[in-house]
Amino acid sequence: MEQPWVPTVDDLRVKMCYICREEEHHDRPTEPPIAWVHPCNCTLIAHESCLLSWIQSSQQDASRAQNALKCPQCGTVYELESDNPSSLRILNSLNTAISSAGKMFTIGGISAAVLASGFGIYIIFTSYGAYAVQEFLGKEMFDLVLTDDPSNWPWHALINLPLVPISLILSRTNILEGFPLVPLFLAWTTSPPVQTTENLMTARWRRASITGSDRPWGPILSWPPSPLMVTFLFPVVMKLYRSYFGKLRQRIMGQEPAADATIRRYVWALNDDRNLQLQVDVNAIPDQEEARAQGQNANQRQEGDGEQNDENQEDLPNDPVAAAERTIRVTSASLGRFIGGALLIPRISNLMGNILFRLSKYSFLLRHLLAIRPPRMGPPEVFGKWFDSQPWSRMTAARQFGVGMHMALSVMCGGTKTFAECDPVWWRNAVGMGTFILAKDCINLFHLWLTKREIETRRVKNRSFAGVDIRELDLIRPSRS
Amino acid sequence: MAVSTRRLQKELTEITTAGTPCGITLLKADDFQTWFLTLEVLGESLYQGEVFALMFRFDSQYPISSPAVQFVNDETYQPPIHPHVYSNGHICASILGSEWSPVLSVIAVCITLQSMLASCKDKTRPPDNDRYVAHAPDNPKKTRFVYHDDEV
Repeated sequence: MEQPWVPTVDDLRVKMCYICREEEHHDRPTEPPIAWVHPCNCTLIAHESCLLSWIQSSQQDASRAQNALKCPQCGTVYELESDNPSSLRILNSLNTAISSAGKMFTIGGISAAVLASGFGIYIIFTSYGAYAVQEFLGKEMFDLVLTDDPSNWPWHALINLPLVPISLILSRTNILEGFPLVPLFLAWTTSPPVQTTENLMTARWRRASITGSDRPWGPILSWPPSPLMVTFLFPVVMKLYRSYFGKLRQRIMGQEPAADATIRRYVWALNDDRNLQLQVDVNAIPDQEEARAQGQNANQRQEGDGEQNDENQEDLPNDPVAAAERTIRVTSASLGRFIGGALLIPRISNLMGNILFRLSKYSFLLRHLLAIRPPRMGPPEVFGKWFDSQPWSRMTAARQFGVGMHMALSVMCGGTKTFAECDPVWWRNAVGMGTFILAKDCINLFHLWLTKREIETRRVKNRSFAGVDIRELDLIRPSRS
Repeated sequence: MAVSTRRLQKELTEITTAGTPCGITLLKADDFQTWFLTLEVLGESLYQGEVFALMFRFDSQYPISSPAVQFVNDETYQPPIHPHVYSNGHICASILGSEWSPVLSVIAVCITLQSMLASCKDKTRPPDNDRYVAHAPDNPKKTRFVYHDDEV
């Protein structure tokens, strides 16, 4: 039988959404109109908004993702159309690349951990800590406080260094909200320079130059701020930054930050390839439907049809499943990105610090902000000499105590003089790290925004009822041919 | 009114007007969060004469998100002994997880579980029953089941 006319979804007498089971009769259209779609080759039809929220929620779940775009009855693959600019595709593939790097890092890390059980995790942590110190403080300072030879290390290095990687990783969680390099700073700035034989010998020759007023610590208030100040100020700055960036994010993404959504479960899925976190992030945002519904409400209110409105608004899929079933999927990729990213902090800081250093050659302001100094001349001073030069015997007990307190406070706040006199590589690295975090967050937000726009502009391609037996359909004008 | 409420209201109307399929009865549906239904395998099967109860729990995203379905385990009802049913009532069936689709309904799930029981040839507990039950979460949706085979 030849069929010159193929009905579409608009020719049905009664439309029933296979998802929400709402019906619509052709002679009593719902107000406001809701788009209907017949996306496959069987008789199932749906509201486009219902279908889109189903697709979106299934895509979040790796185990359901392969069925997300399939008709549950005939298995036809739905065709989606959306706004997918090349910038989003580039960011997506970049994201995938970082994820696979993260995955490799996890695999490498696990094998390293297995090896480490033979060598001792301690040694690996300590060597990483020493590496981090060199990256972050710069070579000059590293040679002063630590040197390449572990036999020169002060005793506290053996406690502090292995703590560095742990504190770096913890700094990316909510457990520890502080400067990631605290264990690095607290001890080093206050400890005297390492006394290598070479240092001691040169210092002996320079004994004459030491005077009583030449104190071996730095001033309390100086630029750059002392490491201790940075340690105290960092959480404050970070908190301010988070709150302002959260507001910016809210303005761009147009919603309350979803961070407070209670995480109902952590899923360990180390074999999982898909990186779904981004979609979950985007999904924490009410979709356009709600905005649209609110717009429609506003329009309708003018017509004085208030009651139906409220009902209508609540009916629409408001907060997507993501909020209800907020899940953090711990995949090998995300684990690797998390830990690998944390351990890269010193390296990235160093790189960013170097870039800032290069740039500072062209900018007076930047040079002052970064407090760039020439490398120290001469060997570091030895702490003990200052003690020798003090007329302790002529002081009263109270004065001795006062000088002692002053000294302790100054060393705590300003660091040792050697530290204060060094080119503050750590400072420009810290500033560099801040710049990096800002840039990273901006790119992340842009990616999120593009992804959100992609999801919002999605349309399911409508198909005619070609191939379906026309007698199975309840058409408005069945005899038309 | 949430989407789930409207949809469950429609399913309930359908059950009360058209009735339930053979072997399935609605036990309790006082609200739109938790429903109870009884299940019986009619005809020749290993479960002849046994009546089971199913508990459905819905969240506000139903039918986008699947219902949490399990057999009731109390003084009156015990879960069936079946290779895909744990002794705490949790069910390892793909249609309750990765194969869930909004086209399914409460009755459709009951029918699937009924045929799962009807086709059973070996009345045993799952091999990992003790280990699973010892650590199982309250809500079976929080478990990530590995679906052993398709012929449930």
